[in-house]
Amino acid sequence: MEALSEETREQLGRIGTANVVLGIPTFNNRETIGRIAEASLAALGNHLASQSAVIVNADGASKDGTPERLREVIGDKVPLLQVRYPMYPVRRLSAPLAGVPGRQEAAGSIFQLARQLGAGVCAVCDADLENVTGEWIDRLVSPVLDDGIDLVVPCYLRHKFDGMLNSGIVSPFLRALYGRRLRQPVGADLAFSAKLMDFYAGQENSNGDAPSLIDPWNTVPVIANGFRIGQTFLGPRAVHPREVAPDLSDTLRQVLATVFDPLERTAAFWQKVRGSEEVAWFGPPLEVNCDPAEINVKRMIDSFRLGCQDLAGIWNLVLPPATLLELRRMLRLPDTEFCFHDDTWARTVYDFALGYHLRAIGRDHLLQAMTPLYWGWVASIVKELQEADSEQVEERLERLSRQFETQKRYLISRWRWPDRFSP
Amino acid sequence: MSSQVNGVLNQAAARIVKSVADFVPGLLAFVVILLFGVLLAAIARRMIRSSLRGIEFDRRVKQWGLSELAEWSPSHSPSLLMAGLAYWLIILTGALVGLSALDASVTSVLVLRLFNYLPNVLAAILILAVGFFLARFFARSVLISAVNMQVQSARLLSLGVKWLVMLLAGAMALEHLGIGGDIVRLSFAILFGGIVLALALAVGLGSKDMVSRSLERQAGRSADEEEIAGRFHHL
Repeated sequence: MEALSEETREQLGRIGTANVVLGIPTFNNRETIGRIAEASLAALGNHLASQSAVIVNADGASKDGTPERLREVIGDKVPLLQVRYPMYPVRRLSAPLAGVPGRQEAAGSIFQLARQLGAGVCAVCDADLENVTGEWIDRLVSPVLDDGIDLVVPCYLRHKFDGMLNSGIVSPFLRALYGRRLRQPVGADLAFSAKLMDFYAGQENSNGDAPSLIDPWNTVPVIANGFRIGQTFLGPRAVHPREVAPDLSDTLRQVLATVFDPLERTAAFWQKVRGSEEVAWFGPPLEVNCDPAEINVKRMIDSFRLGCQDLAGIWNLVLPPATLLELRRMLRLPDTEFCFHDDTWARTVYDFALGYHLRAIGRDHLLQAMTPLYWGWVASIVKELQEADSEQVEERLERLSRQFETQKRYLISRWRWPDRFSP
Repeated sequence: MSSQVNGVLNQAAARIVKSVADFVPGLLAFVVILLFGVLLAAIARRMIRSSLRGIEFDRRVKQWGLSELAEWSPSHSPSLLMAGLAYWLIILTGALVGLSALDASVTSVLVLRLFNYLPNVLAAILILAVGFFLARFFARSVLISAVNMQVQSARLLSLGVKWLVMLLAGAMALEHLGIGGDIVRLSFAILFGGIVLALALAVGLGSKDMVSRSLERQAGRSADEEEIAGRFHHL
């Protein structure tokens, strides 16, 4: 993390301490920064009025006047600290899934200031949110202040077919492995306790000379290190459209790398976990939006079939013969009967996790090669839930998650004795 | 007269006997060196085989995605292939060293030239190996990206890229070995230029309708995907 400038130190000295820090990482967000600033002011004026608060803006050298615009909106109403986080060239090259490029470094800068201020809680929200409200910030911050939660993850209001990557892979996978039922574990707007910020700040590089932040948006280290985690209902999440957004295979690569990466480090932990437990909920519950939607399932099935035909050589390196046989059977099914069974899907995800661990092929290639399989699963679930109401959707996703828990034994066996099960 | 003939024949016989007597120690040295090389090669083969088995080389090769190496190997074992390569390399080196012991100027020059040429061979092997890995990497990248973009001829594209890179590596290796000289370079330039020209002509003349239909289909598909993506936020 960067050393603080003289000006920031002076500002810190003037402010003294604060109990709540609202962190806003920015990078060329002039168009939307006003909304998040107004929401922050609203939260601090109403719900969190009794708390001493500071807004911390970590900016990655914006060229559109984002920091100036933020200063203009905030004025003197709330103390505002602005710092520049280090923007490494490699961060600029890849489009992040959410938030600003280099958000990890931005979070590091925000946590550093929050700890200097002695803050008990720090909420970090994306600057490109278009519909954030003061209530959102209150719902993120309150569980830390009132209930001693260390990490609050959001649960956004969504359409039943939104967040399939989350519902079909991330949530059931993390639930089965780490034993916590998180609805949307890869949310972008989070709140952290002081204890958790200290944990992140205490992580050091292998050479031990400078603190290096592990991804604060990844819930696995939080669970594996015994921190208390909670989830809070927020409204629908609308973000400002980006110029460069990652395509599906890139999204899949980034998300799955985040999920599969900690497997090796936490193997001793997740192999002992049995079953799963509910994670504390906060805020008024939201039901899944089940408005009818016309979706072209045929295109997804075509993508799956093309993958079966052309990527079989790569899948052969990862998937066992039984799964390959099942995929070939699915290839011959007509569109109307197309179905990706839960047990096959769960084992396929586990096989890819193992392939990632064993480096069966280059990791980026491996994760991107999963795209047609993911389309196949999405097609199957969309067909099944076309007419479903919110209760049926919940029940269906619960069934899928239970299947991931059941198949966990398969992952453990393959993890321990990869040769015995190797394709 | 007859005594003169006898004298010449005796001198010739003496020269032959002397030559044979001069040659035999060299030949013996050659045989000894060769036998020593064979012995050394056998020991090295055994040691390499057991060390590679110890580090589970065969399994690792599969993990590194070099399954082709296993297919080319005797008994599908890359460890045996490596041990065999080391065995024959040591025997070859032994034979070359043995040849120089014959003390014949022609063989000495030949051995010297062969040793001088060896770096070129090693460089060519290195170029081919790097070319092989790059070809595999690019072929796989193209295949996965094309399938994810729903390009129907993804495998053909991938195969094309693979052979193009292999061809380039082959031409570079041959040039390094000094085989073919300008012919290899010219052939490669003509072949590569020919492929590009053929593609350009195919697109421009013969397949323009097919290309336009394909682009239209692609545009339609993009619209479809955008429509789906509009409803679908995967995260």
